[in-house]
Amino acid sequence: MSNSSAVSSSSIWTGGRSPFNVSYGKLMMWIFLLSDAFTFSSLLVGYGAIRFSYAGSSTPWPDPATVFNHFPFAHGLHLPLLFVSLMTLILIISSVTMVLAVEAGHRNSKSEVSKYMFLTILGGAAFLGCQAWEWSQFIAEGGRLDSNLFGFTDAAHEQAKNLKLFDHVHWEAADKIPGPVPFASLFFIVTGFHGFHVLSGVVINIIIWLNVIGGTYERRGHYEMVEKVGLYWHFVDLVWVFVFTFYYLI
Amino acid sequence: MSNNHHTQTEGAYIPETYIPHPESHGTKSLWRTFWILLGITIVDFVIYFAFGASMVRNLVFIAFGIIKAILIVGIFMHLNYEAKFLRWMIILPAAIFLPYLVWFLLVEGNYVSLVKYF
Repeated sequence: MSNSSAVSSSSIWTGGRSPFNVSYGKLMMWIFLLSDAFTFSSLLVGYGAIRFSYAGSSTPWPDPATVFNHFPFAHGLHLPLLFVSLMTLILIISSVTMVLAVEAGHRNSKSEVSKYMFLTILGGAAFLGCQAWEWSQFIAEGGRLDSNLFGFTDAAHEQAKNLKLFDHVHWEAADKIPGPVPFASLFFIVTGFHGFHVLSGVVINIIIWLNVIGGTYERRGHYEMVEKVGLYWHFVDLVWVFVFTFYYLI
Repeated sequence: MSNNHHTQTEGAYIPETYIPHPESHGTKSLWRTFWILLGITIVDFVIYFAFGASMVRNLVFIAFGIIKAILIVGIFMHLNYEAKFLRWMIILPAAIFLPYLVWFLLVEGNYVSLVKYF
């Protein structure tokens, strides 16, 4: 793009320049993320196929609204989707602070990069805290890697459709039977795999942030490392979009 | 070593150390993308409570998810501004294989349900 001589597309491949016009590290990060996208897609496709396979079962797939309906400090209320929406909001905000750090890096503004990296790390830590709380709720109510107490009788399913805000506690106590095991195990595997990506993202962000503060990239003359961790961080957000859609919305 | 990102002179290209000069596109499009993502998430939330579960609602959620994905990859991950060959190298494999995997899911999941319960 920035090359001064006009180049036709055939001579792009004759050597002497990058056909992709990116650095080696960034190109490799893109290829890694593409392969990671296939890993997550396989997990989600596997989840979908198993969920579909329970269509005619006598213990049907639990409705997420009746399982993930808690909110901190609002114990006993029926609040589906609210908490995961908050988690989504946290991740979107940390995404925008990350991209602002990248943009500040393009202008070589050390103080701004450092500020936005710090905010991104805070967002990531907040998201991980939320996920720990979500997991502890799920485990406390009977979700395990190898068993699942979120099975519902047909009567309970009918009741669940008309659940009101304050019905939750009474409803919880009734009709708990073993349900499809993959519901619980896939929840741990997919959100756990995503959560582990977030955790690694936070750790990598902290390392890069310390380098920013230490002046490593100022001396190097460019903030390309911030761009690379930025790509990784946005990918984590991207995966969450689909985990949110397929685990909680549908 | 320290200034090799500034200009690339003909014949001095070293793949391992080449870094194109970064261009800032400003923060306006970034904030706009943020507000759109936030808006879509709020619309998701409203639709979830306004309409009962149905196939149409599921398709709307999936469509919104794809729109969010395009915005994140295009604007936040900067792919819209990258070179043509990089864009296609990332988009094409995903665009070919992901629908293929999803098609498998629809066929196989239905079949397993059919032989197990009916």
